[in-house]
Amino acid sequence: MITLNINGANVSVEKGTTILEALRFIGFPIPTLCFVEGLTPYGACRLCVVEIGEGSSSKLVSSCTYPVEEGLKVRTASKRVIKTRKMIIELLLASCPQSKTIQDLASQYGVHQQRFKQEYEDCILCGLCVRMCEEQMMAKAIGFYGRGENRKIGTPFGIPSEVCRLCGGCMYICPACQLRCTFNQPEKAICGACANLSPPCLDKEQFDDMMCYMDPCVACEIKKD
Amino acid sequence: MRKFKSFDEFNELKDRLIADQAPYIPTIIIPAGTCGQASGANDLIRITKREILARELTDHIRVRITGCHGFCEMEPSILVEPYRTFYPNVVTDDMVRIVKAVAKGEVLKDLLFKNPETGEPIEKQDDIPFYKKQVRTLLSKNEKVDPIRIFNYIVIGGYTGMVNVLEKGDPKKVVEEVKASRLRGRGGAGFPTGLKWELLANARNGKDKFIVCNADEGDPGAYMDRSLLEGNPHSIIEGMTIGAYGTGAKEGYIYVRNEYPLAIKHLVIALRQAREIGFLGKNILGTDFSFDINLVRGAGAFVCGEETALMRSIEGKMGEPRQRPPFPVEKGIYGSPTIINNVETWTNIPMIIVDGAEKFVKVGQKNNTGTKIFSLVGKIKNTGLVEVPMGITIKEIVYDIGGGPVNNSKFKAVQTGGPSGGCIPAEMFDLQIDYDSLKEIGSIMGSGGMIVMDEHTCMIDIAKYFMTFLKDESCGKCFTCRKGTQRMYEILDDISKGQGTIEKLDLLEELAHVVQDSTMCGLGQSTSNPVLSTLKYFRDEYEKHIKQKQCDAFACKELIGTPCASACPLGTKAWRYIAHIERGEYEDAYCVIREANPFPSVCARVCNHPCEDRCRAGTSGGQSVAIRALKRFITDRIDPEIYKPERIDKAGKNSSKIAIIGSGPAGLTAAHYLSLKSYNITVFEAGQSPGGMLLYAIPEYRLPHNVIQKEIKSLLDENITLKFNTALGKEISIDGLFDDGYSAVFLAIGAHKSRRLNIEGEDVAGVYPSIQFLKSFNTEGESLARGDVGVIGGGNSAIDAARMAIRQDGVKSVTIFYRRSRQEMPALEEEIEAAVTEGIEIRILLTPIKIASKENHVIGIECIRNKLGEIDSSGRRKPVQMPGTEHYISLDTLIVAISEGSDTDCISMASSSRIETTGRDTVKVDPHTLCTNREGVFAGGDVVSGPNTVIDAIADGKKAATIIDRYIKGEDLVQPVLPRIPEVYIEASKAAKEQVEMGDRAKIPRLLAEQRKHNFSEVEVSMSEVEATQEARRCLRCDLEFTLPKGNEAKKIAIGENVV
Repeated sequence: MITLNINGANVSVEKGTTILEALRFIGFPIPTLCFVEGLTPYGACRLCVVEIGEGSSSKLVSSCTYPVEEGLKVRTASKRVIKTRKMIIELLLASCPQSKTIQDLASQYGVHQQRFKQEYEDCILCGLCVRMCEEQMMAKAIGFYGRGENRKIGTPFGIPSEVCRLCGGCMYICPACQLRCTFNQPEKAICGACANLSPPCLDKEQFDDMMCYMDPCVACEIKKD
Repeated sequence: MRKFKSFDEFNELKDRLIADQAPYIPTIIIPAGTCGQASGANDLIRITKREILARELTDHIRVRITGCHGFCEMEPSILVEPYRTFYPNVVTDDMVRIVKAVAKGEVLKDLLFKNPETGEPIEKQDDIPFYKKQVRTLLSKNEKVDPIRIFNYIVIGGYTGMVNVLEKGDPKKVVEEVKASRLRGRGGAGFPTGLKWELLANARNGKDKFIVCNADEGDPGAYMDRSLLEGNPHSIIEGMTIGAYGTGAKEGYIYVRNEYPLAIKHLVIALRQAREIGFLGKNILGTDFSFDINLVRGAGAFVCGEETALMRSIEGKMGEPRQRPPFPVEKGIYGSPTIINNVETWTNIPMIIVDGAEKFVKVGQKNNTGTKIFSLVGKIKNTGLVEVPMGITIKEIVYDIGGGPVNNSKFKAVQTGGPSGGCIPAEMFDLQIDYDSLKEIGSIMGSGGMIVMDEHTCMIDIAKYFMTFLKDESCGKCFTCRKGTQRMYEILDDISKGQGTIEKLDLLEELAHVVQDSTMCGLGQSTSNPVLSTLKYFRDEYEKHIKQKQCDAFACKELIGTPCASACPLGTKAWRYIAHIERGEYEDAYCVIREANPFPSVCARVCNHPCEDRCRAGTSGGQSVAIRALKRFITDRIDPEIYKPERIDKAGKNSSKIAIIGSGPAGLTAAHYLSLKSYNITVFEAGQSPGGMLLYAIPEYRLPHNVIQKEIKSLLDENITLKFNTALGKEISIDGLFDDGYSAVFLAIGAHKSRRLNIEGEDVAGVYPSIQFLKSFNTEGESLARGDVGVIGGGNSAIDAARMAIRQDGVKSVTIFYRRSRQEMPALEEEIEAAVTEGIEIRILLTPIKIASKENHVIGIECIRNKLGEIDSSGRRKPVQMPGTEHYISLDTLIVAISEGSDTDCISMASSSRIETTGRDTVKVDPHTLCTNREGVFAGGDVVSGPNTVIDAIADGKKAATIIDRYIKGEDLVQPVLPRIPEVYIEASKAAKEQVEMGDRAKIPRLLAEQRKHNFSEVEVSMSEVEATQEARRCLRCDLEFTLPKGNEAKKIAIGENVV
């Protein structure tokens, strides 16, 4: 067992657990987008950052990938953590305003505006679909390609995959909702499985009719401006 | 090659190789790294070999082809042993001569390196300033080794360290020795190498251990690893073998980027040789130690230089960093303990083992031992690789080794650590460079790139460039790094295009901090550095871009438009009138000039032409267009009457009275533009004729008086009343003007008071302030100079006085004394040249300390010699007096031209005017509005700036007219500034389009020195029409980038239709 200090309280957890697992086990709410139980932690969305260490050597790490260490001091809601998380949400909102998951997050953290140029992207590249496909469906039909701003998700060489079983797992797990819904353009669709499902999210052109759970809805506010 | 099976066999071979050396046979060394080959080293090699064979010199001359020696600016170069003669920039024709000279044991003096300060040839490489201050423990081996010959390396002591270590048979000792050397990782982070090795030696998880050489050098502008890989690959192999023995690793990897083909070639050869000779493989030299090295070629992703990404790449996966812990030393390649060191770190190892840690720590600082190689690039004279001890100051690197800035510009900053590094401003060049000090000020050592930037580099442009690089090279895994770099780029791009806001700047800073804080790997955490460090030290530059839409470095295209128009204080569209001249439309050209400038003929003669200094034809390496001469061409042949300025009709309302004090260029310009807006203007002049400094201070051979008078006459109209012999503080006062019903007062009295030298004997007869000297002749025709004349100063006023003096009767000689060197003289270069042609002597590095007199008349001066000392805050070397060099120079006249101030007695707070002045005898104003401390009183021209150029005075006058108009109308004085982007498309003539080759800059026609020396006829004359057209065709037409029609309009033009 390893003892660490979370927000001032000493907690003992098993060796090999991650900070996130420890925090959730105890009941601290930590937002995540790229973490789902049952898939390997990846550390892409950075929403789960916590502050570890003390004084000048303190730093932010993604709790989903950081293994617990003996005597580790963890703060989950320090000013630095909240400031960073808010900025991440603002960046998410600037790119994918139509995702309900992201809207909810924004609402929860009181982010009511984003100050960047508005984009309407379908994917936040959290990699959940890639891991779902590889680890749970044992298919490895999709993966990342490119780097930096050209990073994308797709099948090798962009041709429909032969190993894909059209399970729809990638769509099921997607937090940005729109990721794989390219059913209306079959030649572009990765698997075409979505043709059999009702789209989990509405097309961004019909954005205004979208059923919304937020009050006020950040995306609508942005659209109005 | 025979495989060694014991230590004795190795030692035997080594002894034999050393005995076979014949140091007396001259060797021609040709550096042929990638850089050398690119600049022509391969041709030199071919010629050398051919010559040696043809002349049957094979027994008398040896040739060694090596990697890069570091002095890139001088490539291709030749080094001749044993005397170490250095020939820079060798061309193929000279190579034959060099081979002949080497055969005869001669030195070719004309091809040697010339000392940039004295022009003296320097024979030995080690005496060249670039090499002198370096400590080349690693790079010096590049000269001695042909990288594809292992015996070369063994002769200079190579592999001895490895053999020693194996002979001793104590791996722990190896780690101890490296620890004692306090060597820190040269890859950038500076982690102690010995400690890392110890961790690996102690790591036990049941698997084989790996060591890795990180040769994925991807920083823009950094290439020190490449030169080591290409020039001395065996030292890396030896270092790694020693490391493997010390830590117990079984296998090694060299991860080198595929963009380094020559490095890969040399590494492959070196690895094969090392295996054949038995330095790699099973049971090395008969011991039970086995080790081999694999070469892995990276596909060019910058992020693969990060250790966890590099390991994944070696495993064959996508190069993506992962969370540490677990650290590579616990869980590395394929889950095995792994350590990763940089090329330079590995190269240091053999030296530490052979010479001992004790010797190693003697170089450098306490916690930063040894040397570091930097690649010195950018706006600096001597670019190249420099190896210096840790703790050297930036100043020493950039000035002593680097040779200072190019083209007398001023250093602005140095960027270290590549894209993830930061900028160090010139004020901090005293900083000692080591890992800790760099980190402290917000930069990093990185792998050692050092990019020097001068005043022509825009910091926003730099930040934007690095951000473009990083947004492409981020792996994209962490959302904040991927999106953060894109968003930072977006904001920087907006700022560089004049669309930024202060709120966005704050957002940029906030975002940069978040990205720094929240990403996983070293690359991501440092992506904000270019933004944060430029913001820290150059925030004002960002604000200038945002608020004033100005880029002082002339780099941000969307803010600058065309450099010529942007550089002109009046915004004269030089590109436009040049285009008209080229098409033969001279009247249109005149209107363009006159629209911006009410004194075109004056400026065509005496303007200091900032447009030419910024002209892209010049800044891009060639010669700038002779813009002033083209203006002269137009103003000389076009009747000013063709230009009819736009007037706002007098509707009875604008009859406010405005007083302008001073009838110089600033005052008259203000009067002219206010008159166009139908104000009632009275210009008060203390003298008897209008013109101000134009008349008093500029000699007639540069600016004939009739030109001034003609130009002034054309500006005067019924709205303007001139009152002569009316001086402020005597005939008029500011309070009195307001009492008389004037709504606003514009002060433009110029700078007529020369500063004093403040030395003994200054008040005797025959010593004149330059303004008094010029004024006496210009207004009263009185010649004050006679006999031997001395002029003190280096500015335009000193040159004017000197050239005026030589034209006066009874003058025997004229000498200018200046305290700094010739290059630092602030006067215009063409004026200095003209003065020299007229026979004026310029004596530099002299300061007068005493004026000798007889019967109250000057008979000479006592001077002291100066030498150039330390660099001062202006980036110039300070003149330092050398005691004991005092000497006497006899003179009959002495003119003091060191600087001028205004006669502020009549305006200062103490007088009835109550205007706030500065300590420099100038009036204090708000630079944006020209407002003084008194409501309704504005000031401009030399009285505000101190002695300045004509064009700046005119610009002040023009600005004052606008401001005063707004003031009277009760409008906001500060108006938003807009970038001066060209908006009119002027098609180039057919002839211009067909002309491909660009000729030389036109020589401005001047009277011969003999014809002009003793009279006041104008020196410069007008160009001919052919010359002018030819010169106008040299214009690069920067405007077309903005105005060239696109789409349908372009098609219309192509088929010959007119576009309106």
